[in-house]
Amino acid sequence: MIINYYNKARYTLLIFSLFIFSCKKAIDLTPSDTIDATKAYRNLSDINLGLIGSYAVLGTSDITNNSLVSDECMLPAENTTGGNVATHRWQYDGSNGTVTAAFSENYIAINRINEALNAIDVVPSAGLEMELKERYRGELLALRAYCHFELIRNFASKYETGALGVPYMEVHEVGSPSRLSFEATIAKVKADLGTAKALIPASFTDKTRITKNAISAMQARVALYEKNWNDAITYSTEAINLVPLATKVQFPDIWKDKTEAEVFWKLKRATSTDGLLGSFYFNTNNIVLYAPAFKLVNLYDKINDIRFNSYIRVDNTRGAGKATNIVAKYVGGGSTLNLADIKLYRTGELYLIRAEAYAETNKLAEAAADINVLRAARITGYTAQTFASQADLIAAIYSERFKELAFEGHRFFDLRRRNYPVMREAADAINALGAVLLNPTQAQFSFPLPDSEIKVNKNMVQNPNY
Amino acid sequence: MAGFHVQAGSTAPPGLIKGKVLGRDNLPLEGVSVIITGTTTGTYTDAGGTYSLQVPGNARTLEFSFVGYSTLKVPINSRDEINVNLEFNIKVLEDYTVPSGYAAYRRSRSASASTTVTAEKIGQVPLTPDQVLQGRVPGLVVASGSGQPGQNAKLTLRGVGTITGNSNVLYVLDGVPIEYGFFQSINPSDIESITVLKDASAKSLYGSRGSNGVIVITSKKGRAGKVTFDYKSQYGFSNMSSPRFKMMNSAERMIFEEEIGLETGATAGPGWTYSKKNPAYALKTPGEQQRADFIIDSITHLNTDWRKFFFQTGKFLEQQVSASGGNENVRFYSSLNYYKQDGIAKRSGMQRFTLKNNLDFNVNKFSANINLSMGYSSSSFIESEGASSGMNPLSAVYYALPYEYPYFPNDTLVHSGNTSRFPVMDSREGSNALERLLNTSNKSNQFKTILSTSASYAIANGLVAKTKLGVDFRESLDEGFVNPDSYSGSRVSNGRKGSFSEGTRRNFSFISTSGLTYTKTIKDLHELEVSGLFEYNYNNYRAFNYTGYGIEGRLPLTPAGITAGSATNSFIPILGGSRTKSALASYMAFGRYTYNNKYTLNASYRYDGSSTVPESNRWHGFYSVGLNWEAKKESFLDNVNFISGLRLRTSYGKTASPFSRDFGYIATYASTTYGGNQGIRPLAPGNPDYDWEYAKEFNLGFDLNLFSTNRIRLIMDVYNKVTDNLFFNRPLSITSGFSESIINGGSVRNRGFEIDLQGDIIKNEKLTWTIGGNYSYNKNEVTDLAGTDQFENGYTGLVKVGLPLGTHYAPKWAGVDPATGNPLYYNKDGTTTTTYNAATLSVTGFGTYIPAITGGFNSSLSWKGLSINALFSFMDKVYRYNNEDYYNENPSFKTSNQSTRMLYDRWKKPGDIAILPKIAAARNYTSRDIYDASFIRFRNLNIGYSIPKQLTARIKGIRGIQVFVQAENLYTWTKWRGFDPENGNEYARFSYPSPRTYTGGLNVNF
Repeated sequence: MIINYYNKARYTLLIFSLFIFSCKKAIDLTPSDTIDATKAYRNLSDINLGLIGSYAVLGTSDITNNSLVSDECMLPAENTTGGNVATHRWQYDGSNGTVTAAFSENYIAINRINEALNAIDVVPSAGLEMELKERYRGELLALRAYCHFELIRNFASKYETGALGVPYMEVHEVGSPSRLSFEATIAKVKADLGTAKALIPASFTDKTRITKNAISAMQARVALYEKNWNDAITYSTEAINLVPLATKVQFPDIWKDKTEAEVFWKLKRATSTDGLLGSFYFNTNNIVLYAPAFKLVNLYDKINDIRFNSYIRVDNTRGAGKATNIVAKYVGGGSTLNLADIKLYRTGELYLIRAEAYAETNKLAEAAADINVLRAARITGYTAQTFASQADLIAAIYSERFKELAFEGHRFFDLRRRNYPVMREAADAINALGAVLLNPTQAQFSFPLPDSEIKVNKNMVQNPNY
Repeated sequence: MAGFHVQAGSTAPPGLIKGKVLGRDNLPLEGVSVIITGTTTGTYTDAGGTYSLQVPGNARTLEFSFVGYSTLKVPINSRDEINVNLEFNIKVLEDYTVPSGYAAYRRSRSASASTTVTAEKIGQVPLTPDQVLQGRVPGLVVASGSGQPGQNAKLTLRGVGTITGNSNVLYVLDGVPIEYGFFQSINPSDIESITVLKDASAKSLYGSRGSNGVIVITSKKGRAGKVTFDYKSQYGFSNMSSPRFKMMNSAERMIFEEEIGLETGATAGPGWTYSKKNPAYALKTPGEQQRADFIIDSITHLNTDWRKFFFQTGKFLEQQVSASGGNENVRFYSSLNYYKQDGIAKRSGMQRFTLKNNLDFNVNKFSANINLSMGYSSSSFIESEGASSGMNPLSAVYYALPYEYPYFPNDTLVHSGNTSRFPVMDSREGSNALERLLNTSNKSNQFKTILSTSASYAIANGLVAKTKLGVDFRESLDEGFVNPDSYSGSRVSNGRKGSFSEGTRRNFSFISTSGLTYTKTIKDLHELEVSGLFEYNYNNYRAFNYTGYGIEGRLPLTPAGITAGSATNSFIPILGGSRTKSALASYMAFGRYTYNNKYTLNASYRYDGSSTVPESNRWHGFYSVGLNWEAKKESFLDNVNFISGLRLRTSYGKTASPFSRDFGYIATYASTTYGGNQGIRPLAPGNPDYDWEYAKEFNLGFDLNLFSTNRIRLIMDVYNKVTDNLFFNRPLSITSGFSESIINGGSVRNRGFEIDLQGDIIKNEKLTWTIGGNYSYNKNEVTDLAGTDQFENGYTGLVKVGLPLGTHYAPKWAGVDPATGNPLYYNKDGTTTTTYNAATLSVTGFGTYIPAITGGFNSSLSWKGLSINALFSFMDKVYRYNNEDYYNENPSFKTSNQSTRMLYDRWKKPGDIAILPKIAAARNYTSRDIYDASFIRFRNLNIGYSIPKQLTARIKGIRGIQVFVQAENLYTWTKWRGFDPENGNEYARFSYPSPRTYTGGLNVNF
């Protein structure tokens, strides 16, 4: 029995030790659903994947926030969701997720860009690939400039020298960067755009990504915010010469994505899961969440101005108490409601940038000519007008920008560029509980930085009066 | 569980002892274990309560033990017949075996702090096994979370010891660790006992998985004897308990809308559009004015009770048959159960089928068992539970306007999709939600199998080799459908023709444990039991789902109805899924040494290696030591008669908790898309120093029984648990591209005490009246944050050294300025401001949502065949964010119905002393939204009656009949204004409240 016992114990121990040898391996598992970060960039096509991943972050909060806080939209009674109502009423601070959204969105994109830029010189490339590699580098740099410029448009305390800008991230870094001045941020934006422009070949024409032409348009807009009128004229002229205005036939098709006429760059929207901008205005529940303001609607020549019917749909059959004007710019042309590309830069805007720059540099005739060309392209039977003064021209340009660029993320920033207050008409404020005037002296005239950033980053300064 | 083997290895001349064991009402007890003290030799009584056992000459005493009865030790004194009468003592259970999944020590030989809840408290209650524990286990916080049938409770033991890591208790069924949060398909009636292991000496057997506490569930086993059958049947119904806030009726709503119009000019509804006070009224023609007056009048008199449309009285039904029987060598328990519970919200409900088969056998030196649980449950859920969205019927019922009626006189449901044909004055919020409820479905079926099989073989005297294999398999099949021929179907953005989705989630885990146990008793003085085991755990999870569009209305609820997608039809289906796996290998050694039945030492060591930690930290050791002192057995307490029992226990040990994610340490990229093109994006920054969260816990406790009849029974424990290396998300500046990184650092301490006191007020032959209660207090404090000062966490929380976890952080509400109606907030210096800034104004001092005080009290009365049991549970020092108020008292939602406080307690003119500010003021989150969520809940009342034996004896084959009625969640005392003080978590937002359930039924024993 004793022998038996020892045999069995030995046998058991043997099994035991077999387990020990096998278990070291048995717990050495690797994930199946994620890519090891050290193997993220193996070759040049991975760089392209990283670049696409950077484009993927770009959203539309600029556009929706401009609609919410400016005078281009109104809150109709049928919007019972309550969504963004406080923002629409200028009741926001750093804890408001809506107006601060662009902050994290752009820095997340910037980090993706910097990670790809960090890898671009490490991955092997040779021969013919070299040109592709430089194009990717150019796109990455231009995208980085774009994101920082978007941050400036959203979060700079003002668009003027000495105002607070944003940190410019050129490498991935966990730290506590402080805000650059407005002009220092702009200088870096311009530098990245300049470098990028030399790297992207003119033969690259995919308008869902940044092309050489798009960089000219971007440079023009940067110059506008910088009030660098000469640059604005130079770059807008360059861009206008590259991409002419759409014809009256083409224009409605731009918004149905049937043509890419006069588009420099647009964010591609391929499926309903891509984040549909149109749903912000008019959703699949057949509810108008935010309607075009009467102030804007009444500016258009509703019969002859081709923009009116492209941007706004009038429907008097929706029932009592329902909005009759509906933003139609992003409903798309396919069977999926609101599946439409997001146009970021168009030739129409460049005419208005150049007109404003001409007006500011006292080239009043040239300014008037640009306005007239644009209006003639949009309004049937339009006859050229003359403008008595620089002030008249600026007023006309602003009115034209309001109409031309409605729901494209400009109105609030345009008012900010000249410290014009936001003024809503009574008809547009019936559900806004008295929110009719936002003065430039109020904190809410600039968007707050998110509280989360202020709390974690001791060097980050909040915009004034918050 | 350590069984014993029958008649193994006796060395002295044998003698045969026979006898009979009687229990309650002097009925023979079957299945009683009879063992020779200090050995593993023994037998079971048969159906007649008789036994016979060969005893060696040196045997001195026999021990009789049976669940629910006091264990009895009887000196043999050379007798050959020993008849005993066991005392029924379900509440004491003072020397019952504490199952731990690995070792089973009796309470007199265990240093562990644990609480056992037995079958009769579990089986009858219409709840899942985890929910049943509320108010019964000191130190265990059971928050029901959701009252929707088929949802599980959230359990926290002895305070939260993590910030962003895992705080889930580990569940073990018959030795197999089972998946947390999937108990829908387990039948509580199959459970013999649930033991909650609270201190390190028991938990450290589970090493890196144990620190959040272990709940050991033991299923019913067969008893030797004639095969017996039990039939159980119960029926009942559930309804809604009423929330403590009131919404406006139509008349109030008309006044409200008119007031808003007058105060701001804004239109909140027809009450202003058609008001006489509206400036537009004067411009109307007399005919139009008459029409306006008529509209106001008719609307005012229409009051829709939306609860009628969204709620129901839920039916309840349960049927079960079980059988048990066997002989000395083979015993079985089998049951079949059907359970159906409708929810209190329409469409919600669950039904369940379960099968249980337990088989135990032992032949000579070999014993083995097979435990099989199979369950299938089918649940139907409401949509968007816990969401503020109008699709959630529990929010829609409040948002819906009282003057909105969903149906046109011809019974057409009028929703936003057909208001052009059926003009209405309201926004159709209620009707749209109702349309959604009627035209969509959200179901989940779960198939679960838990199989465990173990075998042991007595290699030699005292040496047993054991092996155990266990499998926990769960497959959930989820299904969602939107009717294409409905308004909801036309709202589906992909193609506007409904949708059908289906998904499977499959979790498989496997455990294998093998090793040796050695038991030795020397001269009745020294008892030694040591075990060495190797264990391997493997877990594999995979999920797949799709959503298809363009549904053919005649083919609903099947993938066959899906239209294939193309570039132009918007019907391209969406595919998804995931896979992950983990493995854990462990070496363990543990043992017990008892000297003279008085002093016991427990010790354990477990060395764990896990795939969830980086290689540098992969292997780690966990340990515990514990002491038990049976003080009553000391001579100096012999003559102290009023102390009938005293035991002291203490333990110390180290454990860890598992990770919520399998590969959290790896820096990763994931795929993404832009415009239909594939891309990659950084997903997680990773952390090469990623490590376990280590908990070190000290426990000191005693069990005290007073008076010779054990009339008063007190169990008390104090503990101190420090969790180091705390796992948390350190916030980062978003300029890095990440908002947080996961780091290990920091500590949190939980210390507290638990008291369980039970007393017999009256105890005699006919009448027993017992009352008891348990109370636990836990003080939680963050003691270190690895250099980080403080950070915000969760919805409203602040994590800061010196404060408890879950601390609310909000600007302090200073009321309404009577002069202007503006909201006022306190600055940190005590002055007030009208400028809201969450970053600069937020302070603490509004408590935490993790309760410090929890417990329950109970009373039971039995008189002849009648028994009445009542259970109350309570939580105190708990504060939660009432997010429902944010929606029901908010100018942004003025077109939805609002609470009556928005009408009566709102500031309207200078001088008003109001609770709520003027309508035009901003609605911001402040301390005003944090409410005391403490409560006392009348959890359960059960009245049962055993029909006298004289009556049942006349029916052939019937051994007994019991009838009962019970009520669950009868009443709640609370200051909380929302639905239910215990649903949701740190905030409450239109969760499904716990229903009030009444059932009645009978048990028949054959």
